[in-house]
Amino acid sequence: MFELLGAGLANIVQAKYLVPLFIGTLVGVVGGALPGITITMTVIVVLPFTFGLEPLQGLAAMIGVYVGGETGGLITSCLLGIPGKPSAVATTFDGFPMAKAGEPGRALWLGVWASIFGGLLGAVFLVASTGPLATLALAFGPWEYFSLFILALSMVAGLVESSLVKGLLSGAIGCVVTILGNDPVMGKERLTLGIKFLEGGIPFLPVLIGVFAFAQIMSEVQRMGGGRKALQAVDRGLSLAVSHLRVMWEILSRPVLLLWSTFIGLVIGVLPAIGGSAANMLAYDQAKKFSSRPEKFGTGIPEGIIASEASNNANVAGSLVTIMAFGIPGDAVTAVMLGALTIHGIQSGPLFISQNATLAYGMFAAYIVAHAVALAILLPGVRWMLRIVDIPKAILFPVVVVLCVIGAYALNNTVDNVYVLLVFGVFGYGMVKFGFPLAPFILGVILGDQIEINLIRAVMSDSDPWLFLTRPISGGLLLASVLSFAAALWQHRRVQNRTAAAQGDADF
Amino acid sequence: MNRIALAASLAAVAATSVAFPSHAQYPDRPLKLVVPWAAGGDTDNIFRPFAPLMQKHFGQTVVIANVGGASGTKGAKEVKDAPADGYTVLGVHDYIHSTYYTGVADVNHADFEPICLVASTPSVLTASPKTAWSDMKGLLADAKARPGQISVGATLGSTSHFFPALVEKATGVKFKYVSYEGLAPRMNAILGGHIDLTDSNLTQKGKVEAGQLKFLGIAAEKRNPEMPNVPTLKELGVNVVYDVNRGLVAPKATPAPALAKLETACLAAAKEPAFAAAMKLQGTEVRLMDRKAYGAWLKQNDDLNRTISKDLGLLKR
Repeated sequence: MFELLGAGLANIVQAKYLVPLFIGTLVGVVGGALPGITITMTVIVVLPFTFGLEPLQGLAAMIGVYVGGETGGLITSCLLGIPGKPSAVATTFDGFPMAKAGEPGRALWLGVWASIFGGLLGAVFLVASTGPLATLALAFGPWEYFSLFILALSMVAGLVESSLVKGLLSGAIGCVVTILGNDPVMGKERLTLGIKFLEGGIPFLPVLIGVFAFAQIMSEVQRMGGGRKALQAVDRGLSLAVSHLRVMWEILSRPVLLLWSTFIGLVIGVLPAIGGSAANMLAYDQAKKFSSRPEKFGTGIPEGIIASEASNNANVAGSLVTIMAFGIPGDAVTAVMLGALTIHGIQSGPLFISQNATLAYGMFAAYIVAHAVALAILLPGVRWMLRIVDIPKAILFPVVVVLCVIGAYALNNTVDNVYVLLVFGVFGYGMVKFGFPLAPFILGVILGDQIEINLIRAVMSDSDPWLFLTRPISGGLLLASVLSFAAALWQHRRVQNRTAAAQGDADF
Repeated sequence: MNRIALAASLAAVAATSVAFPSHAQYPDRPLKLVVPWAAGGDTDNIFRPFAPLMQKHFGQTVVIANVGGASGTKGAKEVKDAPADGYTVLGVHDYIHSTYYTGVADVNHADFEPICLVASTPSVLTASPKTAWSDMKGLLADAKARPGQISVGATLGSTSHFFPALVEKATGVKFKYVSYEGLAPRMNAILGGHIDLTDSNLTQKGKVEAGQLKFLGIAAEKRNPEMPNVPTLKELGVNVVYDVNRGLVAPKATPAPALAKLETACLAAAKEPAFAAAMKLQGTEVRLMDRKAYGAWLKQNDDLNRTISKDLGLLKR
């Protein structure tokens, strides 16, 4: 295994892979630093540029974006108090106070180094566990897959802050979208209304682009109109210089915190479709609970920054495990990557690693090297990153919208996809306006077909419906779905009692 | 000022190329080769090495698009409805006949213009490692003892359904069919033991050598030199010969010059030694037919599939 990883590393440092990886990471860092531009959007924008590349080149670029985005998001969180992306929200809680208190360099580099340590610990997990998990995935028959997807949907619906019912509805609407077009077994047309284009079903990526890029940009545009909030930013003249050794020691002297936050990030990453925005909040919450000085959280202490940043980078590793071993996207970003794999003719799933060892270990290596690249970009470039925030959104957003349209078109060179993007962009915007969460919707779109086909396969294999409960893995997963529901209900009741109004973007 | 002039001239160039596409010499843009199954399946494995060779002789990039679904008919419909301009072709095989007669879809071979036939792959009856039997005899004994219990993963109405159905008919046993579209998902299921049997071919010989799969018998007249220890079904007393033939077709009404160009490029690509070498690894024979011969063969094969559908009780037309 480690020889293969060594070969992968030797492979990836060749210029033809390193250049796309570097460019991807740079774009990711910039995209991550830009408030209002999520990592999902950044990956969507990069995707069409990878079509013409070799598979590993394209995937290296995408992994670079992912890792770079998670790392870059902390810059504005720490220095301006604006999270560059939802998965860096918790970083602002302690990062910004610390920066305001006159230690911006310490806050920033604590975040960067925590990201890198969390990411590299995640890499160990990624390399060591993908193989065994793929073996486990082979033991998953149609019953287990069906129950796994049900668990994923119920967990995401339960995570919704506003209303469990809206979360469930949103997931259900997502599943309904997949009913359109041919049925998966005998190809009978459903709900096509005689429209030729609908016969093939609704392509998934344009929907994702519409909902996650277009609809969110529309919401941002609306927010812009509300007038510019005066930023009480850190004095930009202040020195960001800091002793890196001291900062690293600050992190490494808290091994339990680092490991626990990384672990949380990984677990959230492995679970389908929950993603970084949950990981950093949960890790922060855990760090606070286990701390000997919980009352200090929020005043600018290192623990808060470390927990948030270690967890969101580890989350990337977890998501990559799920996509490589099970062929199920761990979040919207990996859903786009799954699309990229398919476009390059690679079937992800349990046999992925054994059949594409060079590519798989190349991806592991790209993930590791991307951290070094991100560091190499940030060391000289941090000050520049602050300037990026000054790019007027009036210029930035139209550019992103145009790139989204190009991306949708380029998927299979048909303008129909652009209409799909428009329809679902408007639809997604409506959902946001009426307080429906987007994450369960898109998960429904991702999993709807799979839920259906696995249900059919299960019944075709054996007509006994109790097998869903009596097969141990399947039964366990269904039990976990019920428990996640109960937990969500309990949580909602608690929140209602406290009437805490939390606000956040969906980036799952 | 300079920059504006540059931009203006670029825009002018772009506008001309959009406005007068007919002035350009065919082919002047990439060719899309639709593979109507998931990536990593056998059809994909055969057209992946073919695409760069085709590209060499076609003179434009050849892009593979995997459009799986509905027993391969989703991709077929997409090509059928694509503009007949010579820039979209379908990588097709015998399923185009069987899915029509079994009523999966209304699209059939007559909706396309033949280009050329490139490869022929004999089917191999393949068993999961979790099954108890080690050969055909064991399977048949078990199947007779438990009629309708042995599960077969198949793309319903397609070749992977026909082949086991022919075995059923020849031996008088009864299987149970479970829908798994394309060879790649079937492999996941059979390795995990979620299905007992499936149709596959020598593209999977690596897994057999690694002890992950069992080949019970090959549906060819002769044993294959790539795996001489796999008996033919005929030797075993099961009179079934079945192979899957893959070629390229274009939408109906594609202009003749484009078809001629595609045919030349396709034949030249299939004659490349690199293609023969790649096909050898897939346990596949290079089987070449030009446009005319392929067209005649398609008609003949269509009748044959109609007869098989009828014999198997699957005919819906």
